[in-house]
Amino acid sequence: MKITEHNAATGEVITRDMSPSEATQYEKDQGERAARIAKLEADAKAKEALLKRLGITEAEAALLLA
Amino acid sequence: MAKQTFTVGQVLTADQMTSLQQTAMGGGSATAKTASYTLVAADAGTTVIMNSASSTTITVNTSLFAAGDTVLIVNQGAGVCTVTAGTATVSSAGSLALSQYETGQLYFLSTSAAVFTDYTQAAAASGSMTSIATGSFSNSALSLTSISQAYKTLILIISDAAGNNVDMQFRLNADTGSNYAWVNLQAQDAANNRSTGSTSFQVSYPYLGNTYADNTFVLTLQNYTDTTSYKPLQCMYSGTGTSNTKALAWSVGTYASVTAITGISTANSLVSGSYILYGVN
Repeated sequence: MKITEHNAATGEVITRDMSPSEATQYEKDQGERAARIAKLEADAKAKEALLKRLGITEAEAALLLA
Repeated sequence: MAKQTFTVGQVLTADQMTSLQQTAMGGGSATAKTASYTLVAADAGTTVIMNSASSTTITVNTSLFAAGDTVLIVNQGAGVCTVTAGTATVSSAGSLALSQYETGQLYFLSTSAAVFTDYTQAAAASGSMTSIATGSFSNSALSLTSISQAYKTLILIISDAAGNNVDMQFRLNADTGSNYAWVNLQAQDAANNRSTGSTSFQVSYPYLGNTYADNTFVLTLQNYTDTTSYKPLQCMYSGTGTSNTKALAWSVGTYASVTAITGISTANSLVSGSYILYGVN
């Protein structure tokens, strides 16, 4: 992965490879993001299954909790 | 006319008088440069015009100029021209960079020290916005560094953003510590994210994918130069999806650091877009 680095003082713009520590952090960020999205998707599926089992719509469920 | 040493009884020609008049009126002879340049003694009292499509520098060294000498610098080209301290000291209340059509003056306090004044920055009034960095990035993350401390607020706009999933995360000063507290609200998702002690400041809409266009982020950093308080963060997102659906998100948070912000970087899957960074007085 690369980084476009813009030095706002000099106006110099370079595109360079990430340093090892930046690359490690990038991979960590990607892993966390993937896990977060997977959890959101799993939660959405679980919610859908629950609503189906209860036989109510999302709006009706919201009404129950209001 | 470059600075002269006149002698008693010397008779000036009409051309010399005209040139002196031009210099006295703030103009003066100009030498156009198309590449980075190091000032020489003969530049005292003249105008240096930079005309390059690429970034250039003007280097200032010691023992060439006397106290009271001036050099006017006009950047005619599209490339940013940056006044650079070589062996001399160059001080400025603002940036040392001149964008296209900006003009600045070096005033020498001594043979080794000069003050640079960017006329465009000096004219900026309270509340005005100045573009301090603009460009685009592709197949990469984005990092803005060495941000001027001459403003009160920074506004970063990233438009036409694209990635595998638009899930924007910002880091300040490349800080990966748990110094970001934020809440994120999404217009089309009941599962609003909330996080404290996060390692980045996030505004997200995780399911956008590449089917959304017109993805725009507006990040606002107030009091970013403050070295005694935490900084408030705010970012808005909007995008348009297939079937003209809209996605909206808004994050507000705090950067729990008393270090002035000099750098902003993205830390996510965003891989292309256009950006413009404004400083607000």
